[in-house]
Amino acid sequence: MPSAQKPMRYGHTEGHTDVCFNDTGSCIVTCGSDGDVRIWENLDDDDPTSINVGEKAYSCALKNGRLITAVSNNTVQIHTFPEGAPDGILTRFTTNANHIIFNSDGTKIAAGSSDFMVKVVEVADSSKQKTFRGHDAPVLSLSFDPRDVYLASASCDGSVRVWKIADQTCTTSWPLLQKCNDVINAKSICRLGWQPGTGKLLAIPVDKVVKLYRRETWDSQFDLSDTFITQTLNVVAWSPCGQYLAAGSVDGCIVVWDMESQKSIERMKHEKSYTICGLAWHPKYKQIAYTDTEGNLGLLENIGDEKKPNDKVTSRATKDYNDLFDGDDDYLSGDMVEPQSSPKSRANEDDDDDLKPTSGHFRRTVIDDDDNSLDIGMIKANSNLLEKEDDDDDQTGGFSALPPSSTQQPFYDGPVPTPKQKPFQSGSTPAHLMHRFMVWNSVGIIRCYNDEQDNAIDIEFHDTSIHHATHLPNSLNHTMADLSTEAILLACESTEELASKLHCIHFSSWDASKEWTVDMPKDEDIEAICLGQGWAACATSALLVRVFTVGGVQKEIFSLPGPVVSMAGHGEQLMVIYHRGTGFDGDQCLGVQLMELGKKKKQILHGDPLSLTKKSYLIWVGFSAEGTPCYVDSEGIVQMLNRGLGNTWIPVCNTREHCKGKSDHYWVVGIHENPQQLRCIPCKGARFPPTLPRPAVAILSFKLPYCQVTTEKGQMEEQYWRSVVFHNHVDYLTKNGYELDESAKSQAVKEQQELLMKLFALSCKLEREFRCVELADLMTQNVVNLAIKYASRSRRLNLAQRLSEMAVEKASELAAAPEDEEEEEEDFRKQLNAGYSNSAMEWRRQPVRNVQQDQEMEDAEETDAYEEVEETPEVHKERPNPFSKGVTSAEVTTPKSVVIASSSQGRVNPFKVSSNKKDPVVPSANVLDTMSKYSKKNGSSSGRAVNKQSPPVIKPLIPKPKSKQTSAASFFQARTLNSSEKTVEEREEKSGNESHEVKVTAQENTENRRPKTGFQMWLEENRANILKDNPDLNEAEIIKEGMSRFRTLSSEERTAWTEKAKGGTVNDSAEDKKRKRPTADEDEVEKNEEQKSEDSNLSKKPKPLDQSANVRLSAFAFKQS
Amino acid sequence: MEPAEVEFLAEKELVTIVPNFSLDRIHLIGGDLGPFNPGLPVEVPVWLAISLKQRQKCRLIPPEWMDVEKLEEIRDQERKEDTFTRMPSPYYMELTKLLLNYASDNIPKADEIRTLVKDTWDTRIAKLRLSADSFVRRQEVHAKLDNLTLMEINTTGAFLTQALDHMYKLRTNLQPGEAAHSQDF
Repeated sequence: MPSAQKPMRYGHTEGHTDVCFNDTGSCIVTCGSDGDVRIWENLDDDDPTSINVGEKAYSCALKNGRLITAVSNNTVQIHTFPEGAPDGILTRFTTNANHIIFNSDGTKIAAGSSDFMVKVVEVADSSKQKTFRGHDAPVLSLSFDPRDVYLASASCDGSVRVWKIADQTCTTSWPLLQKCNDVINAKSICRLGWQPGTGKLLAIPVDKVVKLYRRETWDSQFDLSDTFITQTLNVVAWSPCGQYLAAGSVDGCIVVWDMESQKSIERMKHEKSYTICGLAWHPKYKQIAYTDTEGNLGLLENIGDEKKPNDKVTSRATKDYNDLFDGDDDYLSGDMVEPQSSPKSRANEDDDDDLKPTSGHFRRTVIDDDDNSLDIGMIKANSNLLEKEDDDDDQTGGFSALPPSSTQQPFYDGPVPTPKQKPFQSGSTPAHLMHRFMVWNSVGIIRCYNDEQDNAIDIEFHDTSIHHATHLPNSLNHTMADLSTEAILLACESTEELASKLHCIHFSSWDASKEWTVDMPKDEDIEAICLGQGWAACATSALLVRVFTVGGVQKEIFSLPGPVVSMAGHGEQLMVIYHRGTGFDGDQCLGVQLMELGKKKKQILHGDPLSLTKKSYLIWVGFSAEGTPCYVDSEGIVQMLNRGLGNTWIPVCNTREHCKGKSDHYWVVGIHENPQQLRCIPCKGARFPPTLPRPAVAILSFKLPYCQVTTEKGQMEEQYWRSVVFHNHVDYLTKNGYELDESAKSQAVKEQQELLMKLFALSCKLEREFRCVELADLMTQNVVNLAIKYASRSRRLNLAQRLSEMAVEKASELAAAPEDEEEEEEDFRKQLNAGYSNSAMEWRRQPVRNVQQDQEMEDAEETDAYEEVEETPEVHKERPNPFSKGVTSAEVTTPKSVVIASSSQGRVNPFKVSSNKKDPVVPSANVLDTMSKYSKKNGSSSGRAVNKQSPPVIKPLIPKPKSKQTSAASFFQARTLNSSEKTVEEREEKSGNESHEVKVTAQENTENRRPKTGFQMWLEENRANILKDNPDLNEAEIIKEGMSRFRTLSSEERTAWTEKAKGGTVNDSAEDKKRKRPTADEDEVEKNEEQKSEDSNLSKKPKPLDQSANVRLSAFAFKQS
Repeated sequence: MEPAEVEFLAEKELVTIVPNFSLDRIHLIGGDLGPFNPGLPVEVPVWLAISLKQRQKCRLIPPEWMDVEKLEEIRDQERKEDTFTRMPSPYYMELTKLLLNYASDNIPKADEIRTLVKDTWDTRIAKLRLSADSFVRRQEVHAKLDNLTLMEINTTGAFLTQALDHMYKLRTNLQPGEAAHSQDF
């Protein structure tokens, strides 16, 4: 049977290494460029004895309890073995020795140095030295003749020489090697060897063959070669019996020949194809220990243990478990690696996983279908060279954790299960680090120091007003932590004596005892913890989730369907991520449970699968500051729960897109939805930050992966949907009874509608009318009206008609479900109730209404009428300055300033220059106050009529190409107008035959304060006529009728009316000032504005009435342009 | 201009701090600052940063150039070239002094940075003296000095112009005849 190749394991830092066995073969001794000599009991020895011999060790040899090493301070030292005590210096060179060897009885050593010299020194008496001069370049390797007559040496000058030890003369010299100037440039270090015992043959590795020279005659006896060898051979080693010869090449091949048959009996390939630079036979068994230039140690066993030489190319592809997690670092795998005493090289973490410590506990075996394997039935593992070249693609074939056994394993080449991801705390760095973050979240940072002097935990709060920074001793060795504004939660795993403990420091407690601990039952380890508001939870290895109050009362317990991965808490919400099953081909198979632990406990996500990027694992899970569940996978994709789409997940950011380098990552610490911020720490060349220097938080923006975001359309679509997704939390929170700043929501709605309108305009421009309708479908009622106006103004009559149909539909839908609206508006009312008392509004004394009451109100028409009145203030709230009709582009800022004024804690910028003539920061209550006074004066009926203060103001229309900006600027105003009007209309419908006089007064009320247009003046004069002709017309129809009549007038007459109107408005000074703004464009905007409002009024009005009005409107729009 | 005045101007430069308190945007005549979120870096003027730091309300993040490697490079470059090199900040000296005085615990290798900046400063001042010297010696009428910072100009500016005035007076007095002659008119 073929040799068993044990997996390589990490021995030294990368660089040249050497290996030898001790005399009995009980341990392997290696030395490496880290200057340590390690003594391994066996390959699985996780705690090898280390002897530091210098800065770098080039070669070592061991015999008779003496360990000699060639080190970088140019000396050859002796240490006792196995104690490792220094025992003096044997010899010195002017530069370092490259190879040292003992002779067969251990009395002499030979050392070859880079200063071209070879020395033979007696171990007992270092003064007896023999120097061999003759090489013209650094000496590479040496070999003692077992009979102590000759010494062979190979040098960089290309020659291999044989010296006679006695008289220090060169017996023979072969120019076999390539010349070079230094050892590091040598193609091969040419470790040559005499055959043990008789010393009949000298084996020299030359290029791809081993040349064997006969003693005394010094002629080439024969060559050993093999097709398996594709690169230069570096090392040869004889078995102690002299029957076998092993050779290692620079590309990691090891071939063993049987000297009798001169046939190769073993072929082996290094799992990573590193250069073999040390080979040593076990003194008794058929074992070869080998090392490579990357510092790894490997062992081949049972060499040549079979009757007939086996031609099979055997290799045992072994894989480190760690490799599965794409080894940029050991973020995850670090925890899984067996503890190692050897200092782990951090240097190789940056780059690739080539140097992963191989613990051999998890290995993957690839089995090849082989003729013999079935016959023998004993083939443990023989693979083709599947994994020879795919170091970088390390997640291909192989399955994990198969214990090597001598029984036949079934052939399997299906999908390969992925090792399950270990549990982790979000915002923590790997537990094996000496200095690590236990948690970094939006509340604060918990750091853990675990070095020689100190084992402590440092807690620091971002906001020092929550709590001061704290320093705790970590005597229990806590590994998990979470932090909230109420408490610190720590947990440790169980040890042999102590149970796993949950430790809570409830610093916000008002009593004196602020701490509590809970012991887990025996054999139950805490694996993940989290804190919510008023509760703490931990998930244990017994697949349980235990919930505690923050004061330490045990509450609910529930089982998890699989091992936990991570947990997160926020407010009442608890999110648990666990393994649903086994993932395949590098994917994880995770499930998520989301539940609310508040008054009414319910589960929202029932173990739904978690969507992760292919071949990635979870690295962060938590809630946004607003309470929306989010998670991040190792590919940097941030996903967020979209409550607006049936609790699905939506990718909101790809942090890798922001990275500059390939190995850079962002370490997420928090997510905020309003403002949209992804808080994370940039890590150069790593996945997580070090504790020092203190990392700084960076802010990334979110971006939904919509198509064609480079185009204007794609960009706006992305913005729209992002705004929608990032305001889902508003609905959720209101539903769950959280107090919310309403201004934020209205701001969001405003932003979304604005985007929709822009998209609409864009589609209009691109002649995509169908798309326009689709977009209009997303708009709110008011914005649809604006869209209709836009469409009619851009002469898309068909579109305008369709939109108005849609608007009718929407209106009817709205009417069908008015209670929804009521609900939304309720908060407005509540806010308004405060500074608003009016005798006419008795209903305000009613208790705060709920949905039920709203429904009752629906039934009672009278109450409903009041309802409408009630809505009015809301309308004005959005526009604190309803009287300044002259809207400029600055109007856009007006709602904002109101927002500031209305939000209770928001402060006002006293330095802000506003373009509004009136103080923009008049609190909305003031406006309302004046309004209520006004309405008092005029009695209840005219109080209602206040609504009508923005009636259609009709002017000669000047068609103008509208820019998108103006439309955006105008639409808020238009909206408010519309809504106020709508209410009036609805009221009209309901209260039926209200006297027209009221409206006339209303009209006059407004006209008192606003400039009259020619048409209005004309209408006033002619109203009576119209009424006489058509006594059953209502207000809107009167205006329409009036308009058609006005249009029939001759142009001179019309101009005359207009002139008249201008003369009549002089007294309106406030308005006049606005009108006289110097900049013409502003004026234009203004006009546009008014036109628009007219338009919207016009287009609005006919809607509930009849279709013909629409047509008329279109005709009107057409005519004007 | 007094050095204190130059320093005052330097205090308007922005630096990044990490506040440990929460405060909404504050509105000042010079512009809005904030909002301050605990744990989130925010840019504020140096004067505010120092004030907050003194009250232990923030942690300071040193400017990008305040780094030993970068400053070594700047110093070496300054030494190598005959002319003045461009400084990372027009107030490098003032900022170093202010930040290291008040927030040295937040700046890694503060002492080294202090030395490096001082070295650079010395080199530049030496250059400035040398050029002033050759300017005077050769009796030039104008010279161009690029990349000088305000503080550096301030160290020699007043002195040099006064000295030149004096020298001019002395030189004109060397030809008393002419002067006397002119006074005769």
